[in-house]
Amino acid sequence: MPTTVQLFVTCILDTLYPETGEAVVRVLERAGVRVSFPPNQTCCGQPAFNAGLRPQARKMAIQTICAFEPYPGPVVVPSGSCAAMIRHSYAELFSDDPKWKARALALAERTYEFSEFLVDVLGITDLKARWEGKISYHSSCHLLRDLGVDWQPRALLAEIHGAEFIELPQTSDCCGFGGVFSVEHPEISSEMLKRKIANIDLTGASVVVSCDAGCVTNINGGLHRMKKPPRAKHIADILDKV
Amino acid sequence: MADIFRTRIRKSLADENLQSALDANAEKRIKVRHAAFESLEDSQASRARAHQVRADVIEQLDRYLDEFTSHAVANGIRVHHAADADEVVKIILKIASQNGAKLIAKAKTMVSEEIGLNHALEKHGLQVVETDLGEYIVQLRGEPPSHIITPAVHLRRQDVGKVFEEKLGLPYTEDISIMTNAARRTLRQVFLESDIGISGINFGVAETGTLCIVTNEGNGRMVTTLPRIHIALMGIERIVPSMDDLSLMLSLLPRSATGQKLTVYTSLINSPQRADDPDGPHERHVILVDNGRMAVRGTELREILFCIRCGACLNACPVFREIGGYAYVSRDGDGSPYSGPMGSVVSPALFGHCEFGHLARASSLCGACKEACPVDIDLPKLLLRVRAGYGVNQAKNNAKSNAPRILKMGLGFFTLAAISPRRFTIAQKLAGIFGSVATLVSKGDPWIRLPAFSGWGYSKDFPRPASKSFRSRYFQQIKGGENQEEIASHGNASTANLSNPETLSPSNNDIVKKFSEEVEALGAKYYSCSPDKVREKILELLRAHGVQEILAWDGKYLPDGLIEWLTDAGVQIVYPRSDNILTSSRIKAGLTGASAAVAETGSLLLLEAPGQPLTASLLPEIHIVLVWKKDVFQSLNQVLEMKAVKHASAAVLITGPSRTADIEMTLTIGVHGPGELHIICIE
Repeated sequence: MPTTVQLFVTCILDTLYPETGEAVVRVLERAGVRVSFPPNQTCCGQPAFNAGLRPQARKMAIQTICAFEPYPGPVVVPSGSCAAMIRHSYAELFSDDPKWKARALALAERTYEFSEFLVDVLGITDLKARWEGKISYHSSCHLLRDLGVDWQPRALLAEIHGAEFIELPQTSDCCGFGGVFSVEHPEISSEMLKRKIANIDLTGASVVVSCDAGCVTNINGGLHRMKKPPRAKHIADILDKV
Repeated sequence: MADIFRTRIRKSLADENLQSALDANAEKRIKVRHAAFESLEDSQASRARAHQVRADVIEQLDRYLDEFTSHAVANGIRVHHAADADEVVKIILKIASQNGAKLIAKAKTMVSEEIGLNHALEKHGLQVVETDLGEYIVQLRGEPPSHIITPAVHLRRQDVGKVFEEKLGLPYTEDISIMTNAARRTLRQVFLESDIGISGINFGVAETGTLCIVTNEGNGRMVTTLPRIHIALMGIERIVPSMDDLSLMLSLLPRSATGQKLTVYTSLINSPQRADDPDGPHERHVILVDNGRMAVRGTELREILFCIRCGACLNACPVFREIGGYAYVSRDGDGSPYSGPMGSVVSPALFGHCEFGHLARASSLCGACKEACPVDIDLPKLLLRVRAGYGVNQAKNNAKSNAPRILKMGLGFFTLAAISPRRFTIAQKLAGIFGSVATLVSKGDPWIRLPAFSGWGYSKDFPRPASKSFRSRYFQQIKGGENQEEIASHGNASTANLSNPETLSPSNNDIVKKFSEEVEALGAKYYSCSPDKVREKILELLRAHGVQEILAWDGKYLPDGLIEWLTDAGVQIVYPRSDNILTSSRIKAGLTGASAAVAETGSLLLLEAPGQPLTASLLPEIHIVLVWKKDVFQSLNQVLEMKAVKHASAAVLITGPSRTADIEMTLTIGVHGPGELHIICIE
């Protein structure tokens, strides 16, 4: 049982949703681990990588690798796509650089997405969380298809006391975020989001849970523009409620 | 920037008919693909194996091409090599002029779309008619195909009714079976009169030199059987090493493309008509088309050469679903025959990064394409490589990203901040101040409305940055040990250890039962008969259809005395040959045997051989097949491994009656091949 985990809070949570970052810390502590925050962390480099700007992405990846190297133990990331970036895309980024590739792989090996860590590593599904009402779940693309993590967050949600779980139709359809895609191709992104929101409306759930703050931001941003209540939430915010 | 691309995207999004056609396509195609894969045992293992096979082929492409070529040449097929579009056209024109050809019947080939073949041939006075129903419709409309598998996916039945009225003089109708019938009649003439048949190739088998073509309507069989000359265009990457590998690919391609276990017709062609063959073309040519493929092989995009052109990634892609095939245009507005996720890699790889590279940016990288790909191509990885500028003529170490300038600038600043925790913290503070001011301005609303040109603001609001970031709050607070209630571990979820039930080899009775079920699910009729009842059964079927004249195999290859008995009963028997095709084409029913049957797919194997003309199973509207119970096999690879398949000049696997779903995805039975298939299994 690991006693200390290294939190990679991600630049989105750090800058936009510090309360969610704190919820992550509380949930991890409640699950029995100590949480450490390596201070030199910034961004994993995914935005530049997705934009095709590999030299810039490499710089940020190196920053991330160096930020975590002095701190042993599992690295927990409350984001499917950032965890996938480290676990899979760093190898692609350093495919021609054996030295950095080895260091990247060492980080990749000990990196876990938040729900995956709770369920697969700690073996916990019941966090004694409580939420009254209907909840639904949006499968984020990189979490589902890149990391293969799906039943873990579902298992965590299934144990929430007081909640009624409603399956989101077409849950694994992309919400249209895709990082730089959503600003480069807002027309297409917007149509994809409309579909997602129509499906969310079908559930009648008061909350749609996601393991990725990117999806949360995208879905809520669309809901707010449509004058609907922004009701996407990061899974940590739900698990935090007792 | 690709402004024309954006214009096309907006045009697609505003087109309601297109939107409903694309929605229907995505919903239907994904559903049938999932259903078809359920019948495949361990599909993930098949995908992994198929990936390995394709990787090996591309790795040793030269060797496999040599092997394929030497076998094909030994079988009497003329093999040509074409480096580019011009060379393909020259080769075909030469064949055409040597034979005084005027009319060409063409089955679907994406390679020909890639090189603009029709226009080039028409410029030289040849008439080229597309014979796949979807291709025929778009050709009549003067359009290119909008999907690699379903060319007319963007059209509604009304559009087809209109063009048939205009171009064929068919009274306007919205009845799909009437339209299909009209196409059948018109195109039958084309098949019979054309001098050359041009087809694509789905797979070339290296160990035998076999050409494999899969179609549903039967047009692929027509163009490779009826005209004197058959020319096949084959992208050089479409090789599989062995018949066993072909069987693997055939278990994946139709399932992925159309949700079928096997397409209606799987043609396996080894040679032109041999001296004792009753029918088939006198000349067969294969043109191995490079057109940039060898160059791609040496790049970071080589994995795209694994593609087997099933179209599953298009159907699964949420972006394709919104914009459709025609939106995937070059910087100058030129279309590419390849759209969707695979097209966004193939087009820049083959036709230029500068012209088509921007297509790879129109993806949310959701990975639905990779998940759908039957050969497990990592499409998101390849799309990212195109974005990074990798490809032909782009040395990897100085590849230039094709990101828009403004994005490059923005991410440049972001990178500067992110590589220094100090600068990152300052940037966060500035963002926090901006967020607070924005909140004041918006009277407490935590959302910022960005302008539309920012991209984000087009249809979404942005949450204001927190006035204090996580890190500043974290370092301010002294973390105590409060709230550390330990939660008992539930232990790792146990993975159920399912015992592997021993697979018993099924008895012949079980196999035949499975065969009959598959056959009936395909819409064919199945009868089980004792040997002495076969003749009455056939006569009963013929009488029920009012048929007096049939095409039939030579009596030697049918049950003893059958032909004589039918003749005595007043049935006229015609034996189809190359020289009586016109007469044969008018006869309503055909009677043949079958060399084997496949239970898992409900298929029949027919071989071209003396006394066994393939046209008897192709030209009539009704096809009656006799198959012996002992010849029904469990799986496809057992049948493909039969020596006769490799030695016949041509073979076909028939899986149900001829069909199409090219108009509004409505299943229509009986296009070019028989619309009725009656299978009599002899006990």
